[in-house]
Amino acid sequence: MLILSDVLILAAVLFCISVAGIFINRKNVIILLMCIELMLLSVNLNFIAFAHFLGDIAGQVFVFFILTVAAAESAIGLAILVVVFRNRSTINVSDLDTMRG
Amino acid sequence: MIVQAIFYFFAAVLVLSAALVITVRNPVHAALFLVLAFFSSAAIWLLLEAEFLAIALVLVYVGAVMVLFLFVVMMLDINLAPLREGFARYLPLGIAVALLMAVAMGLVVASGYFDARFPPRAGEAGPAASNTLELGHAMYTDFLYPFEIAGAILLVAIIAAIALTMRKPRTLKTPRPEKQIVARREERVRLVKMEAEKR
Amino acid sequence: MIWAPLAPEIALLSAACLLLIIDTLSRDEKRRLTYWLGLAALILSAVLVLAFSPLEPVVLLHGHYVSDPMSAVLKEAICVITIAVFFYAYDYFEEHGLLQGEFFVLSLFAVLGMMVMVSAHSLLTVYLGLELLSLSLYALVAMHRDSPTASEAAIKYFVLGALASGMLLYGMSMLYGVTGTLELPAVSAVIAQEAGRNLILVFGLVFVIVGIAFKLGAVPFHMWVPDVYEGSPTAVTLFISSAPKIAAFAMAIRLLVDGMAPLVSDWQGMLIILSLLSMAAGNVIAISQTNIKRMLAYSTIAHVGFLLLGILSGTRTGYAGSMFYVLVYALMSIGAFGMVILLGRHRFEADRLDDFQGLSRRSPWFAFIMLILMFSMAGAPPLIGFWAKWFVIKEVIAAGYVWLAVLAVTFSVIGAYYYLRIVKLMYFDEPTHLTALKASQEMRFILSLNGLAVLLLGFMPGLLMAVCVQAMRM
Repeated sequence: MLILSDVLILAAVLFCISVAGIFINRKNVIILLMCIELMLLSVNLNFIAFAHFLGDIAGQVFVFFILTVAAAESAIGLAILVVVFRNRSTINVSDLDTMRG
Repeated sequence: MIVQAIFYFFAAVLVLSAALVITVRNPVHAALFLVLAFFSSAAIWLLLEAEFLAIALVLVYVGAVMVLFLFVVMMLDINLAPLREGFARYLPLGIAVALLMAVAMGLVVASGYFDARFPPRAGEAGPAASNTLELGHAMYTDFLYPFEIAGAILLVAIIAAIALTMRKPRTLKTPRPEKQIVARREERVRLVKMEAEKR
Repeated sequence: MIWAPLAPEIALLSAACLLLIIDTLSRDEKRRLTYWLGLAALILSAVLVLAFSPLEPVVLLHGHYVSDPMSAVLKEAICVITIAVFFYAYDYFEEHGLLQGEFFVLSLFAVLGMMVMVSAHSLLTVYLGLELLSLSLYALVAMHRDSPTASEAAIKYFVLGALASGMLLYGMSMLYGVTGTLELPAVSAVIAQEAGRNLILVFGLVFVIVGIAFKLGAVPFHMWVPDVYEGSPTAVTLFISSAPKIAAFAMAIRLLVDGMAPLVSDWQGMLIILSLLSMAAGNVIAISQTNIKRMLAYSTIAHVGFLLLGILSGTRTGYAGSMFYVLVYALMSIGAFGMVILLGRHRFEADRLDDFQGLSRRSPWFAFIMLILMFSMAGAPPLIGFWAKWFVIKEVIAAGYVWLAVLAVTFSVIGAYYYLRIVKLMYFDEPTHLTALKASQEMRFILSLNGLAVLLLGFMPGLLMAVCVQAMRM
């Protein structure tokens, strides 16, 4: 017997881990991409849990589309990463929140 | 009871591997821990009766996306030291923020609303029920329009990935005068100071 | 024909796929065929929008798609703005030797994504349209492959954009969990029954608002805007700053008004904070900028603050005021970035403020066009930018937030300074050089038209406003 709150708390913890990961790994773009994958995973977990407890297939279909989009997104993200590496020979991106001026 | 035990086991593995993804030094290790995270979520999805998606997660994510990640990590010969810059500095604050957020979010989602509305339920679908069939029916009827858009999104990903990374063979070796005239001395000559060698 | 309202989307998707094949086969270095066919596709879908848009809302495809007066007006505007973007962009890419057929193909897909967002009737279609748009834009920013700044801008845009999508999705998952449906009006109906006592709904709403604020570029979720505007090729900046803002406005209306109308008192408060911070930070930080693309980025942030004023008033006329604002903003924005492209030369971006020095000596006509655009952005009467601000501020006062209106006016007065500084540079400073402007006839013609539209619309704001009110009527 699964309890919905347990699954939701698990998803929330996963979500927070990914946000913390984005916060502390702000220079390492590869890890940033992985954190985004983790974030989407936590959202997927939410949708699947709701779909199960609501007895509604729409949540699962939503997850299917998130998986599709996330695959496309990582393809583009890695392509941009390769371009960055070719240009700068490093993937060390200066702080994402630089506010010059 | 046994279902719950399995859930807690995989939940622990999932949280642990996710925490390792964001903290390990080596991106290859991080990718492998992410694979572990995907496997344990797939197990949890099976408990939640999303069989098709659980299999798809393993096949598509572990099989394709993570392999792509590993390819890129290994292809780009990355110097790790500068990437860790600021890691130690942001770590304590990051952990504090994450804990605070997790407690707040946990309190909200477990505030009793959902538990009052949805009693704990085990799998009710019998052995004859097919999750794939149900998902397929929904996808090709009610969700036809999103399905078409997803096709367009995948096409955009293909175009973008090719346009960004494909390099045309460089057959022409003509000089680029506009680059030559803007070249400065510093780009061509580097003065190096060296200790004189001892006899 | 029940499928008729879908004609613009179907035509655009088919045209984009066809264009992809034609571009691959074409050996023309100048990509003329791709360019003209891309324009033809946009004109075709603009015509189809006019021809097939129903006067009453029509819901199709199992509740995922809606065609109503608002979607018709916004789609028309998106097509027209993108047509102008194509004219400017072709000139830019040709001058800088960056011509790639993919620009036109990916832009068409981005337009398709915007149309999907504008016509979205379920949480799923909002998300998918948004991703179709965003993924195309990430790729467009990185398209200039040899530029380190462009690729860095692309990676920043990508990471923060993906983060925003994740936030939005988390919010959507909460809404789905409480309401058990993905269709926006159904979500709204269930929320109305739950009425007020549900913490989870507000919790989900916060994440949705964060997602929307990121996509619009409202403070404090604006970090990507200046870097992306500055780093991207100017033609791409031009595109990002115009049509996608219209789509983001539509997304805000679809999610907040169509999907969460009963929570209006909750999202009103959050939007007030976002709007106030955006107007303050945008206008103040813009003053210290020396790069015009960066300055216009902060100006965008300030305009987003004004845009939110109309939405947070929570009335139909308020939404119409916001819609008026976003349309006018897109028109002014393409004009201003068009000027930056006009002044650029081969492999030289005229993106410093100094490049505008003494423009009145070099080209009195285009200095005049820039003058109109800057005065309009600053909100000087009787230009259209003034009326845009007028309508939203009127609605805010009607909604009872007089203090907010006073602050908005104050910030726009502060903001007037940096717009007027450009006018001063153009008219009162000596030019550093007197080279004639190089630009194609089409570019000159469209840019003049663009400036004159800003001038002439200012004399008949009622016309456009009537259209917006009609569009928001239902």
